[in-house]
Amino acid sequence: MRVPALIALVMAASASCGWAAEAPNRSLLAPEALPRLPQRLVELGLEALKAPDWLVAIGSFAAAAGTVVAVFLTAFALLSLIERKTLARIQNRIGPNRAGPFGLLQPVADGIKMLTKEDIVPTKSEWFLHLLAPVMIVIPSILALGVIPYGREWVPVDLPLGLLFFFAAGTMTELAVFIAGWASGSKFPMLGAMRAISQMVSYELPLIISATSVVMLSGTLSLSGIVEAQAGFHLGFIPAWYILTPWGFVAGVIFLIAGNAESNRCPFDLPEGESEIVAGHMTEYSGFKYALFFMGEYLGLFAISGLGITLFLGGWQPPLPGLGFVPSWIWFFGKLAAVIFFFLWVRGTFPRVRIDQLMRFAWLCLIPVSLLTLPVAAIWQYSGKGALGWLLCSAILLVPFIILTVRFNRRMATNNRRYTFAE
Amino acid sequence: MIPLLILSPLILLAALGAVWKARPVHAALLLALTLALVAVFYLTVGAEFVGLVQFMVYVGGVAILIVFALLITRPGDEAAEVARRPRSLALGLSCVAPVLGLLLYAFSKGLPVDVAGETNPPLPVKAVGMELFGNAVPAVLAVAVLLTAVLIGAALFARDPGKKPEPPIG
Repeated sequence: MRVPALIALVMAASASCGWAAEAPNRSLLAPEALPRLPQRLVELGLEALKAPDWLVAIGSFAAAAGTVVAVFLTAFALLSLIERKTLARIQNRIGPNRAGPFGLLQPVADGIKMLTKEDIVPTKSEWFLHLLAPVMIVIPSILALGVIPYGREWVPVDLPLGLLFFFAAGTMTELAVFIAGWASGSKFPMLGAMRAISQMVSYELPLIISATSVVMLSGTLSLSGIVEAQAGFHLGFIPAWYILTPWGFVAGVIFLIAGNAESNRCPFDLPEGESEIVAGHMTEYSGFKYALFFMGEYLGLFAISGLGITLFLGGWQPPLPGLGFVPSWIWFFGKLAAVIFFFLWVRGTFPRVRIDQLMRFAWLCLIPVSLLTLPVAAIWQYSGKGALGWLLCSAILLVPFIILTVRFNRRMATNNRRYTFAE
Repeated sequence: MIPLLILSPLILLAALGAVWKARPVHAALLLALTLALVAVFYLTVGAEFVGLVQFMVYVGGVAILIVFALLITRPGDEAAEVARRPRSLALGLSCVAPVLGLLLYAFSKGLPVDVAGETNPPLPVKAVGMELFGNAVPAVLAVAVLLTAVLIGAALFARDPGKKPEPPIG
């Protein structure tokens, strides 16, 4: 009991005097460096054992990877419960409340259930590809999580081409979905895979184009460099995040929508629309393989939210000046929680779209507007980033947006329907 | 040199498998594997930008396109494909032999760059961009025009002239 209390005391003391921000590397237990603690411990241990340098490097990376996986698997387990609770609250239900207090042990119960279920491999499937698909779904999400800067002191792997690596790793998911759909040897998975691939290909374009405008303005592909480019405050209190610029706002909203579609979540969850095609490409999977698909999906959600925060919401930068004494990773995970909660809210609120609406929205609305953000970002850069920039950029962005909205509204007009089923 | 020695047999095997497999989906997946392994090779020799772009464009784009084409078309007769194999093999080898011979002849005359030298520092992305949009602008523009033309052509092909425009959604 005494050691945790001591640690907490040291943390509180160091946080209050701003010691962490000034001397990040001086102490192992500085709150700023807390997520790096396992990595540092492994490094120190290996150095104490006189291990060669390459072994220290491998051990250090392995510890960093282990930390990322441990943190996000715990977060995945918690999120599966929080999601069900939040949805229940939105839908006026109670949600899981049997396993443990407030249903807190529900993820454990789900895990045990998934592990003990029978693993079925259909006779018409190709067993190797059938096995490969769930593995290939999880790997890119974990790879992508490894390059995100979680705090000032903690980027598991700080690549100079981090953004490119993120998208390159993400492309593997599409192939995995195809393999899952095809190797199952049945019709529903095939249809689900077709839907999933066409959706992912369509929404990847606006996702990457909207990220490109950030690269144009920050002048770097390194994710930690992008976060540092968003440091500082306008007028002393408005954070210099990219979401608070005209082009950044539009690109950020597009990124949010496209990211939601990329992670196959409602209202874009057609690939696994339960009422239409059973479970899409996951239909023929059971037990732990099914759990792997689920895990990949949620880890992908964490990754895409983390990238959105890094690109548009200032990464680990605090939202107000004078809050720098709070460890930066707390800001990052706070923003992550807020974005994820927004995704849950969207899921509880919006109805599922139809496949033609989905495609039309991507190709006729998101891609043109996201292409527009590129010249607008250039105008913002060269018009002084002030009042003139705001005026010019907003005008260029608003006109096509209004035209598109009016057109879409006219085409989707539903002259006063009457619903009588509940009367 | 060591990554090349480890990777080249793997790349060769995957490529041969892509040609040899009778079932089109297997061939397409092995092609994707080949392209991914080439990307890994680029990464191991320090060409990180090229490696990642290769992965994004070929594994994420081209392979997906091939796979999607397979999904929406009807598979051919696999037995006929196997029966045709000796003729295909003869035709393929007769095409490959002169190219291979030419390559070997070129290599025997000396390599254009020092392959084994470890002196090449990794090129920063900025330099790649400067080269692409500085010296190579005409080529980039030509490719851009070509791809736009292809896109418009594809849209024209995809359009069914006999069909009326779709009714409004809702």
